[in-house]
Amino acid sequence: MIDNLILGFQTAATPENLLWCFLGVFLGTVIGLLPGLGSTTGVAVLLPLTFAFEPVTALILLAGIYYGAQYGGTITSVLIATPGEAASVVTTIDGYQMARKGRGGAALAIAAIGSFIAAILSLALLMTLAPPLAQLAVRFGPAENLAIMILGLVIVITFQGGKLVRGAMMAMVGLLLAAVGVSTGFGEARFTFGDTNLLSGIPFVEVTIGLFALGEVLHQIRVGAAAPIKTSFREMMISGKDVRRSLPAILRGSGVGFVLGILPGAGSTLASFMAYGIERRVSRNKENFGRGAIEGVASPESANNAAANANFIPTLSLGIPGGATTAVLLGAFTIYGLQPGPLLFETQPALVWGLLVSFFIGNVVLLLLNLPLAPVFAQMLRVPYGYLYPVILLTSIIGAYAVSNNTFSIWIVLVFGIIGWIMKEIDLPMAPLVLGLVLGPLLEKALVQTSAAGAGNLGILFTSPISATMLALGAALVIAPVVIRRARARVAARRAAERQASSFIDS
Amino acid sequence: MKSPSTLYAGSALVISAVLLTGCASQNSQSEGEFAPSGNVVVTVPFAAGGGSDVSGRAVAAGLEEATGLSITVENREGGAGAVGYAHFQGQEGRDNALLAAELALVSLPLSQEVGFDYTSFTPIMNLGSDYALLVTAGDSEFETCADVVEATRSETVVTAVSGATGIDAITISLVEQDQDVEFDRIPYESGGEVVAALLGGHVDVAPLNPSEVAGQLESGDLRALCAFSEERYEYEQLADVPTAAEQGIDVAFSQFRGFIAPGGISDEAREYWIAAAETYAESDAYRSYIEDNMMQPNALFGDDFVAFLEETNADVQAALG
Repeated sequence: MIDNLILGFQTAATPENLLWCFLGVFLGTVIGLLPGLGSTTGVAVLLPLTFAFEPVTALILLAGIYYGAQYGGTITSVLIATPGEAASVVTTIDGYQMARKGRGGAALAIAAIGSFIAAILSLALLMTLAPPLAQLAVRFGPAENLAIMILGLVIVITFQGGKLVRGAMMAMVGLLLAAVGVSTGFGEARFTFGDTNLLSGIPFVEVTIGLFALGEVLHQIRVGAAAPIKTSFREMMISGKDVRRSLPAILRGSGVGFVLGILPGAGSTLASFMAYGIERRVSRNKENFGRGAIEGVASPESANNAAANANFIPTLSLGIPGGATTAVLLGAFTIYGLQPGPLLFETQPALVWGLLVSFFIGNVVLLLLNLPLAPVFAQMLRVPYGYLYPVILLTSIIGAYAVSNNTFSIWIVLVFGIIGWIMKEIDLPMAPLVLGLVLGPLLEKALVQTSAAGAGNLGILFTSPISATMLALGAALVIAPVVIRRARARVAARRAAERQASSFIDS
Repeated sequence: MKSPSTLYAGSALVISAVLLTGCASQNSQSEGEFAPSGNVVVTVPFAAGGGSDVSGRAVAAGLEEATGLSITVENREGGAGAVGYAHFQGQEGRDNALLAAELALVSLPLSQEVGFDYTSFTPIMNLGSDYALLVTAGDSEFETCADVVEATRSETVVTAVSGATGIDAITISLVEQDQDVEFDRIPYESGGEVVAALLGGHVDVAPLNPSEVAGQLESGDLRALCAFSEERYEYEQLADVPTAAEQGIDVAFSQFRGFIAPGGISDEAREYWIAAAETYAESDAYRSYIEDNMMQPNALFGDDFVAFLEETNADVQAALG
């Protein structure tokens, strides 16, 4: 273990590699800042450039881009409510509220710190436990995956607090929208009305851009443009108190992210939503969630970073990509003449450990680069909104086009921009809709697979201990608050009755 | 999920190219009089990172070397390839557009209303063939494909298939027709998911391309029972895998990979691309693409490629029923 780490550091920590890592993080951050472009695209686009390098240097550069792009997406989520990827949708809920209160710098800083802590913890677990964890992950079959998705949806719906019905409604709308397109397993086109563009379904990145960016701009125009944020540079900085307050959220987020990240397919989006949902229930500061709670930024950001790292567990120890970006990286392995698979740890120790160490270095560089820059980025909000709005509109539309090089995407953004505005006006939550849309195809796939595996019988959902436990947990989440409220009401009623009775006796 | 855009991809590439070396410019030669107008774009109708993307990027790099032109790759994924092909149909007559084609070119029009088929385009070059191996878990009781077929007669055998009209589904259908048996199918969406399902014991067998399972075969976590190819593989790791025909199952089916130009291009443009493809086929880049992906080389150009597509079309039609 120690020998391997030393080997890794020897391979990765050369001045040349550090320079490329730094450049990679920088380029990645720039790519992530552009709406619609995320880490997968960044890695895929810059992949050919790395062919001229040694494999280790190339992978370090790519790892830098990967982490940089994820963070870049966070910056836009917080500052202008435009998430670059589905995994940073939840961050906008509290991040943007913080930015509106002049605490954008702190939100960005805690995102960087949270991501860093999550990365270090998950990398340590990855280095020590990858092969056994991977063996555990493949035990998750269709039934277990289906149960996880259901649990995820329940957590997200119930985290809306008093708006349970509205949250459930929007999640269902999201699931319905996800039904558009070619169906899993049968390959039939549904609700496409003969339009080729709709064959691939309603694209969630464009929907997210529309709902959040365009919807917010339209809403702001109606309520009257808010004054630019006036705070001193000092207030933009993060305080020690902020960090202490966020620490439990970061640790819980890392845990949730890591567990979901190991499972191929579940991915970092579900992880960030679930971490937020859990935090909203257990945090001491829960009443401030949705109004700019720093824990609401720390927890999903830690979760998606931990999930991104845990994604490498199936990738490195089984040769199975855990997510879109790792699939691209796995492709890169073959191009460098490496054979991804269970033997990679044994046949290429210098490379694997070099890569793991470079993940570590990438995260350190990311923190060093972005912690001082966070207040600087946040200064952007000093620009009067009259100037900022056109820029947001322009980047949203260019970003949407960039997703698929297709004008169809622009229409999606416009339509969902208007829908997002209406939803804001009548106070409907948008996050469950996005999650429904993202989870829809995965849920359907798990459902079709479970039903195929059980020959049309979904009974295996209840006979598998893992999925039965998760379903029970989901049911408890829905029922428990009602039961507790009833119980409390009954106790209160009894006390009131007793008081009345006693006062009657007294008089 | 997402795909690079010309705009951002271009600018990112330019920025980084400058950062890297300040690359020397190319533009060395041009064959004959004709040359495609403007920047050449290779459309990949699938997401970055998949097999189609790898072949599209290999073609772009190889043709760049062969022609001295600057060639970029654009991913337009969606609808199992339909979105990319439909977009490419809109490029009719353009001599600076190419598309990294594979089985979807034939199987999509046979299974969906997409408004195009392989005759809508100008086929340029077939690169090679990718066959499926029938793979099972290392500790499985099956030793041959004949065992698997025999087992389906007395019990349920669950197979994974990725894509409703992909090579997996077609190969399994052909086996079912040839042997008059029936498999239980669980649909998956990528080779990686299928490998996970095999390792986790959620399916009994699965057809997979050699490049998708080479690592697991080497480690012994998975075993290949037979190859659905006409002849045995020559690659060292696969030379011991018998063909299905050797085990009494007369099924051989391959997924081709190649590239096509839009319909309605001039004869000069077609000749130009065929000449460039022939130069590419002679290069080391072509050989290493085929070998890295454990494919069987099968370079066919122009009319030969068209004839090959006609044959494939008939096969797929028969398999999909």
